[in-house]
Amino acid sequence: MNNAIVIDPPGFIQRVLSVFYRHYKCYFKHVVANGFPPFVEPLLFLAAIGFGVGRYVNTIEGMKYSEYVAPGLLASTAMFTATFELTYGTHIRMEYKRIYDGILSTPIGIVDAFVGEVIWAGAKGLFFSLAVLITISFFGLVHSPWALCAPAVGFLTGIIYGALGLIMTSFITEINNFNFYVTGCCTPMFFLAGIFMPVKELPVVLQKVSYCIPLTHSVNLMRGLVLGKLESFHVHNLLFLIIIIPPVVWFAIRCIKKRMII
Amino acid sequence: MDAPLIQADCLTKKYGDFIAVNGINFSIADAECFGFLGPNGAGKTTTMKMIYCISPVTQGKLSIAGMDPRHDATRIKSIIGVVPQENNLDPELTVEENLQVFARYFGIPPRVSRQRIRELLNFMSLDKKENAKIKELSGGMKRRLIIVRALLNNPRILILDEPTTGLDPQVRHLIWDKLRELKYSGVTMLLTTHYMEEASQLCDRLVIMDNGTILMAGNPHELVNKHTKRYVMEFTRNGHNFDQQSFLPHSDCTVEIHGSRYYIYSDSDSILDSISKQHHITSKIVRSADLEDLFLKLTGRGLNE
Ligand SMILES: Nc1ncnc2c1ncn2[C@@H]1O[C@H](COP(=O)(O)OP(=O)(O)OP(=O)(O)O)[C@@H](O)[C@H]1O
Ligand SMILES: [Mg+2]
Repeated sequence: MNNAIVIDPPGFIQRVLSVFYRHYKCYFKHVVANGFPPFVEPLLFLAAIGFGVGRYVNTIEGMKYSEYVAPGLLASTAMFTATFELTYGTHIRMEYKRIYDGILSTPIGIVDAFVGEVIWAGAKGLFFSLAVLITISFFGLVHSPWALCAPAVGFLTGIIYGALGLIMTSFITEINNFNFYVTGCCTPMFFLAGIFMPVKELPVVLQKVSYCIPLTHSVNLMRGLVLGKLESFHVHNLLFLIIIIPPVVWFAIRCIKKRMII
Repeated sequence: MDAPLIQADCLTKKYGDFIAVNGINFSIADAECFGFLGPNGAGKTTTMKMIYCISPVTQGKLSIAGMDPRHDATRIKSIIGVVPQENNLDPELTVEENLQVFARYFGIPPRVSRQRIRELLNFMSLDKKENAKIKELSGGMKRRLIIVRALLNNPRILILDEPTTGLDPQVRHLIWDKLRELKYSGVTMLLTTHYMEEASQLCDRLVIMDNGTILMAGNPHELVNKHTKRYVMEFTRNGHNFDQQSFLPHSDCTVEIHGSRYYIYSDSDSILDSISKQHHITSKIVRSADLEDLFLKLTGRGLNE
């Protein structure tokens, strides 16, 4: 033990990245099993909805139904993976695997650990939307090189829904209660975000609700990028996503901090 | 004398209205092994948690290497190694990966940590388990691995919350040996234990706590000498009642009765001998009084919770 290593405590970025690294390492240990859903789920979706329902829908906004639906899946998959990761996933890490008991006894603080979690949710959003992008590209549903920017939107979506999930995690103590959030909030968002039909076809009240849902903006952006039809309102969508990130993440960290302090 | 490495003044922790640690004072010198004894719920773990900065101090003052947990948690935690009461290894990672990931939390570069991990696994005789999954380890191996993990950052202060609970005697002795080595190399240790032998063997000084307060503090051997008589005779009633009064003529004796078990304390073993002859006590044990006797005398023999 004589070769004493004296190390300065790591800085904020390094601390956050070390937590990120832990999640990354656990995930990519089982990359085949973990990568299976994002590649295969869109296949099933496209088969069932695009080609099934699509046969009864002539065209929607001038395109085939599968062309219309596919880009939206890039956004919804990012939402769902980030949500699950920071609700059930974080809860299990916290209460069952007791990961944070260990982490927090090192120079990592509560803020570091959970900023790391949120960034990890963003990374999963990125990875999942990339996987869906690859899958749909095999079906000729990608029309523009702008689609390469789509995973970045997946990242933003992941950050937002990760942070929202974390807010839930800070209040929910019984794991089954996450069902209320996922089925009660996320699934409705999924149906109101303009993935399956244009938002303007919805009743006016629901159009307003839809506007407030981050996923709606994410879906719009994905569609613009994948189809290469970018318009000025897409800047608005992007700004919406970017602007809500700081307050949502700040609030999430604040809530989880309250929960974690003993 | 140098300023103490850890100093607590009127340290208090409340969980809601419940006072878990009630205004305790202690100071721990550099390179000392300092014990916290006490029955379940005495507040030992809570005190440790305040020291390693995961539980905020409610009232009072705590200083660790001159730093305040409220403002310098990151720096304090970087010089502490923690062996928590409950194992909390990362079940998703192997032995090696657990240590690699942990080293990163301390900002140790991978090329340094690889070497250090190998050394420490050797030190704790775990070198063959590098690639094992956590669930494949026995209780003793998990505990040794947690000690390895606590040493990764070459800590100045090592916190050991019941490091040997539930382990077989071989592992316990191995761990004691290693802890002694660390102590001689100058690591300051804080040790919680329910094994009085462990505390007597390792601790330079200790405190006995109950209900969040410190009942007694000092060197374990001195405390035993000062506060208990030298010998104790134990025996079981076995049907017939002994009149407690009948022991009293031996003015030097004290008698404790718990259920059917009698404890007679005296500074002279010949007095105990004559008592046993006088009362025809056959199956008895006469032994030197130890830390356990003092502990039970202070905290009572009944259940505390
Ligand atoms: N998070 C908590 N919330 C509320 N009460 C707590 C909490 N943690 C501990 N306590 C209470 O504080 C008291 C002291 O607990 P602590 O864990 O410090 O005891 P201990 O001395 O370590 O006991 P043991 O020997 O059983 O480990 C106990 O009565 C316990 O019930
Ligand atoms: Mg304890």
